[in-house]
Amino acid sequence: MHIDQHLDVIHACRFCFMCRHLDPVANVSFREADTPRGRALIADRIHMDAANLQNTDFVETLYRSALSAANRFHCVSHYDETGLALAARRDIVEAGFAPDRVKALAKTLEKATFTVKGRGKLLYFGNRPELYPGAAVITGGDPGKALEVLGFAAASKKVLAKFKKAVAASACKKLVVAEPSAYDFLRDRLDGVTVVHCAEQLLASPVKAGRSRKAVYLESDFLKNYDGNPTAPRELLKKAGYTLLPFGTNDEESYAVGEGAVVFDALNPDLCEKLCGRVYALAADAGKALFVTASQTVKDALTRYNPSFNVVTLEEAILA
Amino acid sequence: MTPKNYLYEMVRSELTWAVGDEHVQTNEADKLGHSIDYYWVPECWHDRGNKPTPPDFVVHPGSAQEVAEVLKIANTHNIPVIPWGGGSGSQGGALPIYGGIVLDMKRMNKVLEIDPVSMTVTVEVGINTQHLEWQVEKAGYSTMHFPASIACATLGGFIAHRGTGVLSTKYGKIEDMIMSLEVVTPTGEIINTLPVPRHASGPALTELYLGSEGTLGVVTKATMKIHPIPESRKFHAFLFKTMHDAMAAGSKIMTSRLRPCVIRLYDETETAKLVKRVLGIDRKGAYLVFGFDGPEKIVDLELEEACKICRGQDTEDLGTEAGQTWWDHRYKFFYPPFMFHLPQAFGTLDTVATFSNIEKVYWAMKNVVEKNFPQATFIGHFSHWYDWGCMLYARFIIDEPPKDANEAIALYNRIWDMAIRAAIKEGGVINEHHGVGLKLGRIMRDLYGPAFKVLEAVKKTLDPNNIMNPGKMGFPGKGV
Repeated sequence: MHIDQHLDVIHACRFCFMCRHLDPVANVSFREADTPRGRALIADRIHMDAANLQNTDFVETLYRSALSAANRFHCVSHYDETGLALAARRDIVEAGFAPDRVKALAKTLEKATFTVKGRGKLLYFGNRPELYPGAAVITGGDPGKALEVLGFAAASKKVLAKFKKAVAASACKKLVVAEPSAYDFLRDRLDGVTVVHCAEQLLASPVKAGRSRKAVYLESDFLKNYDGNPTAPRELLKKAGYTLLPFGTNDEESYAVGEGAVVFDALNPDLCEKLCGRVYALAADAGKALFVTASQTVKDALTRYNPSFNVVTLEEAILA
Repeated sequence: MTPKNYLYEMVRSELTWAVGDEHVQTNEADKLGHSIDYYWVPECWHDRGNKPTPPDFVVHPGSAQEVAEVLKIANTHNIPVIPWGGGSGSQGGALPIYGGIVLDMKRMNKVLEIDPVSMTVTVEVGINTQHLEWQVEKAGYSTMHFPASIACATLGGFIAHRGTGVLSTKYGKIEDMIMSLEVVTPTGEIINTLPVPRHASGPALTELYLGSEGTLGVVTKATMKIHPIPESRKFHAFLFKTMHDAMAAGSKIMTSRLRPCVIRLYDETETAKLVKRVLGIDRKGAYLVFGFDGPEKIVDLELEEACKICRGQDTEDLGTEAGQTWWDHRYKFFYPPFMFHLPQAFGTLDTVATFSNIEKVYWAMKNVVEKNFPQATFIGHFSHWYDWGCMLYARFIIDEPPKDANEAIALYNRIWDMAIRAAIKEGGVINEHHGVGLKLGRIMRDLYGPAFKVLEAVKKTLDPNNIMNPGKMGFPGKGV
């Protein structure tokens, strides 16, 4: 089983309570099973007896995780509990016990195809090509990250292969990626192509300082907790004239409403709504400030459950 | 009670009516999470492939009224109710050993009021204490409650077993921090204790519930003290030749009536093992660290006075940096892999005694463990210092306990039986801040003597059907 490669995490996390306060799902569901300890205990039970892969309560719990890496980031020893959850999902899928809604979602994601328009050295993958004049643009959906987090590793590789083929056909040597999940997925997987996040690219370009404005930057789970917490998004916003306001009560929790699980809202809309509710409740402290997220997925979720919530993507904030 | 029994469905129907469908869990994932707390015994039981007893229902009440309804249902059907906060207690106090209803309090997590005039916060006690601290800090204050389990436990958990934090020497244990409580009695009445902790209006009812470990009712709300963020907090560390010398210095700091926020003294073994491993301070001797906080001028003055006391002995002055390092890494001791972990057997034999007795307690415990259990390592440090004495945080570790779970637990219990009774004989008590729980209930009669009948009478009067956390703190169980 794939979880066998994470025995150190199972043994460290199954009886450890030190990061439970940072699990976004547990903080709204209040369930022990939704904490890293709860999931590690389940993984341990599966490790002891693979028949537990058929336990629908265990399986559902593993698919409820928001896969926030805030827990790992702030763990003194950085035990990779999200890696364990991902491995458990792979085991579930490969044993044929994925829930029907997960299978249905995977089937849709497998159909992704990619098209490149235009030519040039730079290839852009996102929703705001107007920010990158002269760049070729690749479109077509999730490049395989969503399938990977659902546990469909083989299908993920096939979609990635389609993406790679399209990139290769473009002959571009640099890929600018807007969505943090896609950036996290692609940044080490494209041979001969430099992958950068859109914030890095824009920061290196001339950015007009707009009028002085206040904004709350909702930290991206991927950028902050998975990808080394680059300063580019915040620097970019400041350069564009935004004064960044603090949000929430601390800088450890993730308020990224399930970004780490990529298709969290499609999978667990009730939980996603609760995660959004937490952001709305805390947003009252920020007055009328604009909310900025690096993720279109996060923006979509936040506006789905409160259409009047004032949130834009990082690129939209630069265009505004 | 099993789902195949129709009574199970009758009870579930009543519970869901009381708190809502969404807030009653009966699935295996939740039951697994609630069948194991931070107590070594259920951890070992699980580790060896056994299944610890799960609850029948996990209920998340949203108000004191809902708690009251649940307790009335439990009384009707004579079902155990086990309050659960963060589940990070080390004494098995939150384990559903007879099944029944685990009352998970985490949904009751709201800060209700911060009173900046009286410097208090009123809060639902299911709140995670790190979340509470963050909210209080955002308002410009601090609870000054910084236990190693701050990120794990709820305020209710600390109230239940008289918990404490790193800065207890100045700011007190939880029982010193609490002003008043709202409690749901076992029969479902919602009561409030007096609004202030100092009065001459009869016995202190708040005290009855502090440390009652969910056996006398369910605490739902608390008002506790908050403090200004100190202008300065400084630390200093010394290395003493022996633990005895360091103890003399520490007790002199306290009996001189200086007011450190923290003192911690590690014995020679723990200095060589844990202080070296976690802090990277590689020295032979006994490591003593202390800190002061408040207005900087006062901090500097008190710190200097404390340093003078230490420098009067044969010590190595490790300076402020070695003290600050300890503070910065104070929680690291409790993270894996720095914390002891299965398959090791380990336990914290914490106790407290006067300065006259504390070293006798230390040596009694150490001797009894090392003499009778040569496979065990004994280490200890002294934390939570008072005007009159201090707490001993002793631990035993067995790297290779028996593989059979029953044998391992029998060995584990025997160490506790002997070590704690040795401590009591020298003037110690069962525990200082982790509580009694399932682990040490059997020793309560020895500790209290005839006075335990008073506690039993209180329990019988308040909880006539014995639904509240049966089998804990030495109170009767429900039968198996």
